[in-house]
Amino acid sequence: MATTSVGSIDFPQRKASGLRFTDRRKLFLVALALPAVVYVVLVALWPLAQGIWYSFFDYNLLRGGGRRTFVGLANYAELWTDSTARRALINTFAFTFAAVALEFIFGLCLALLLWRESRFNRICLAFLLIPVTITPVVVGLIFRALLAVDYGFFGYYLAEWGISGPRGFLASTTSALPVVILIDVWEWTPLVALILLAGLKSLPGDILEAASADGATALQRFRLVVLPLLLPTVFLALVLRVMDAFRVFDIIFVTTGGGPGDATNSLMVYGVKQGLQFFNIGFASAIGNVTILCIALLCAVFTLLIRRADVRANEQ
Amino acid sequence: MKARTRQIAIERTTLVVILALYMIPVLWLVSTAYKPPREIFSSPPSFSFSPTLFNFERIFQLFDVWQLLKSSIVMSLGTTVLSLLLGVPAGYALARSKSRYAIVVAYFFLAIRTVPIIATLIPFYLMMRDIGLLGTWWAVILINTTLNCAFVTWMMFSYFRALPRDMEEAALTDGCTLWGAFYRVALPTVVPGIIASALFCIMFSWNDFLTPMFLTNSDTKPLSVALLASFGTKDITWGTLGALAHFSTVPIVLMALFLNRYFVQGLTKGVH
Repeated sequence: MATTSVGSIDFPQRKASGLRFTDRRKLFLVALALPAVVYVVLVALWPLAQGIWYSFFDYNLLRGGGRRTFVGLANYAELWTDSTARRALINTFAFTFAAVALEFIFGLCLALLLWRESRFNRICLAFLLIPVTITPVVVGLIFRALLAVDYGFFGYYLAEWGISGPRGFLASTTSALPVVILIDVWEWTPLVALILLAGLKSLPGDILEAASADGATALQRFRLVVLPLLLPTVFLALVLRVMDAFRVFDIIFVTTGGGPGDATNSLMVYGVKQGLQFFNIGFASAIGNVTILCIALLCAVFTLLIRRADVRANEQ
Repeated sequence: MKARTRQIAIERTTLVVILALYMIPVLWLVSTAYKPPREIFSSPPSFSFSPTLFNFERIFQLFDVWQLLKSSIVMSLGTTVLSLLLGVPAGYALARSKSRYAIVVAYFFLAIRTVPIIATLIPFYLMMRDIGLLGTWWAVILINTTLNCAFVTWMMFSYFRALPRDMEEAALTDGCTLWGAFYRVALPTVVPGIIASALFCIMFSWNDFLTPMFLTNSDTKPLSVALLASFGTKDITWGTLGALAHFSTVPIVLMALFLNRYFVQGLTKGVH
């Protein structure tokens, strides 16, 4: 330790400051935390509050000279009456549930496959980091190119063999959303697997050995021993993915731009279009606030569900 | 024993298939960069091709690649440094404070991380427009630092909390200053956490696309924005796009591969 005894020099100073040590310590800790708190309040909370304020106004930079007229909750009402916005809301929920469910199922399988400690598995693990780290824009572009009907590696044959329509999966209103969901699953399943794997590896080994010594089958062992212990990690992975999936933007924006029609429009894509392309600030702010509300709601529901599952697991 | 080896064989075959599912799209992207334009657009798609560096020459004609790279580097390093400077001390303070508000503040940082950027980006855009920072690197650094500093604070909070207080207490009774106890005693023991935080900050901001798309202009845009902006102009083929994507993905992928220990550590510590 680099802290050789300099107590005799330091002690008089401590007296001189006129404060008790515990108080000085409190002040010191406050001083360390304050810059970050102030920063986040100024640069995140303040715009957030402004966004809430704007959402009660008819405020369009391109119309009426950017004048603001108070309209109450009209922007929020429009979210439900405007069929595009309603579709975006439904799409976002569908996207989130489908993507996260698939990512969890595949991720869990992948984590179980990689659980065994071996050189081979470590190498696989390293490769699985690649999709997580690749720029999401690039992921979107890769799949857009692969699925292109005229020259894409997959798209050409899918169209040729009549599996997709003649204009490809991404151009059809029925298949565009599932395809975008699958792209998200491709990109984020390894992340879920990595998180679950870290959870699996931290499980106490003696309990697992005891379970197999008791003659439990692999499935029983998994259901009765591994899964309950893994619940906190499962919760973490699910919440993390739900939050991110609900905010999906890059993949959709790059592959379909929300189309064809409104087939893949999400709240984020629609909000960004309204706010930063049409400068319909009031309405876009309402979309942003509803997105926050939905995320908060989803997180709350997940916390409740997992708590109940935890209680049930403990009872068994 | 035989059953066991067979099980391992099945596991490995499955893993190889999954890995192939991941590597094919990536390798395809890499390979387009070395294909002459005519072969990319061959219909049906051809598998063999004569490698060329033509696409790389093209992107240097079409884009100011060094400028794009510089923008990406400046913005991700700026965000990372600022986030660490704000977040590491805050994480320490929250972990060491005995006040019951500390945990509330810690959860406040966690909550900030869940805010969808659209909710803050529009007012922030207007703010930057009013103070004349729109189109500068600063605008992107400032807004990305909110999310990243919240992330770092929470991550370092969990690292410092797991660290026993004894060493700092001992140093303090030995006459070490409060700052010394933080800077010279606690900080060196959480270096892995700092590396993991930095890694994630760099990755988040390097891959970020939405904020720079609206907050930068043609002189300050990073690689991620150029990738899409370039797309749709008639000079661009998938080959040049693949070549440009080399620049935007290779640095981050290499970083993650070399530091994957910290990466996995960060995943499990920083997000809960």
